[in-house]
Amino acid sequence: MEYRPAIRFGGKGTDASQFRETLRGIAIDEADRIYVVGDSKVKVFDAQGELLRRWKTGDEGHSIAVDVDGNVWVGQWQQVEVFDADGRPVETLADPDRLGLITAIAVSKDGVLLADASARWIRRYDREGNFLNNIGEQHRKGGFHIPNGIVDFDVDAQGIVHVANPGMHRVEQYKADGEYLGYWGKFDGQDPAGFPGCCNPTNLTLDAEGHVIVTEKATPRVKVYSPEGELLTVVADEGFDPQAKNLDLAVDSKGNIYVVDTVTLEVQVFVPVTKGATA
Amino acid sequence: MSDKYTRREVLGHAARGAALVGLVGTAGVLALKANKTYAWQIDVEKCVNSKVGAWGVEVCELCATDCVLTLSAVRAVNEFSDCGRCYICPAYYKITSAVGPDGLPSEKVCPRDAIKREAIGWVDPDDPANNFYEYIIDEKKCNGCGRCIMECKEPAGLSSIKLEVRHNVCLDCNRCSIAQACPEEAYDRREPSAT
Repeated sequence: MEYRPAIRFGGKGTDASQFRETLRGIAIDEADRIYVVGDSKVKVFDAQGELLRRWKTGDEGHSIAVDVDGNVWVGQWQQVEVFDADGRPVETLADPDRLGLITAIAVSKDGVLLADASARWIRRYDREGNFLNNIGEQHRKGGFHIPNGIVDFDVDAQGIVHVANPGMHRVEQYKADGEYLGYWGKFDGQDPAGFPGCCNPTNLTLDAEGHVIVTEKATPRVKVYSPEGELLTVVADEGFDPQAKNLDLAVDSKGNIYVVDTVTLEVQVFVPVTKGATA
Repeated sequence: MSDKYTRREVLGHAARGAALVGLVGTAGVLALKANKTYAWQIDVEKCVNSKVGAWGVEVCELCATDCVLTLSAVRAVNEFSDCGRCYICPAYYKITSAVGPDGLPSEKVCPRDAIKREAIGWVDPDDPANNFYEYIIDEKKCNGCGRCIMECKEPAGLSSIKLEVRHNVCLDCNRCSIAQACPEEAYDRREPSAT
């Protein structure tokens, strides 16, 4: 398994396809369109990085997801705004008594999972917005250890929730009802199979095969693990701004990995290298 | 002009008055300095060890080496409210050193062993990572070398450790040797409230 850097798009600037100050979240729909949130805007790009459309969000977005119906969910402070594929507001899921900063979202027919970085665990709601349960609250210290200020997770085809717990240098697995299943990962500042620094991985996503793709900070790095936690490859350990952290990422249907650089405000794309193919 | 004073006497009074105002002003400035209204301080946004955006560069140790005191008046201070209380703190452990049998880095950052690591609450021996830890700086050992500040800085840490001048130790020299040496002009005399 090997990847090579392909295109970059976005970047810091005032053009419509660029970002002035922030680039925080990324998601990809079933047609491989790329949705990114930053500067209180959602911008939609095609796979070549061409801007398709954009719209403003009601509040500053910290995370983004696209559901199977094409609705776009934007995580904010104490609420989630939902738009249709063209950016028209559909609904707002607000729960100010319970929700804090929403730093990751997953939507399925079974419900909506919101990573609440203020509480340091994941909130689960049904599609009508009724609260069901928390994930991660049974941790002895009351939630995930997130010195980076975000919780990130993804859900696999079986409905298992995979969560980055950076302060413990782990990826943990849970059932949707909150039952803890286990973890893999350990600290190591030398062996790339381990997670270095104070608190890594910061972000994760899953591909169609269930591979766990993570990003790290200080120094920024992208790695792919098997579902059991075996390091398969280091996708990139250079090319990002060294000051960047909390690099959100997403995978398209072809296995291409899209990573946001939170300092240069670029989206970097890494494509799988097929054995025997020429560059 | 009245008959009481000559022109020469009036000019003389004026000159003495101006001299008096000047003396009072100078005395006032000296009194302010004597009362420590102004003191040597470190601008953490200029200091290369704490300046965000300069992570991974060479540490500046001039605060430790250039103070006239044997143990510098500059100390590292951990602001606990900003600290991540990490299991593996990059300001405490040399995070690129080999991992020991306990799963922790085998080397420490501080060459003077001035940082103490204490678990907050009970530690599960089977899962010590599932805990928060407090990092306490021993000011009797710290010489302000700045190594922990560089490692604690964003994005590696949360920038909770900063260098500060300890005014109960500082001799308040008129020409501070650290200020003379500081390449970032981060060390200057300011009102304490300005920091």
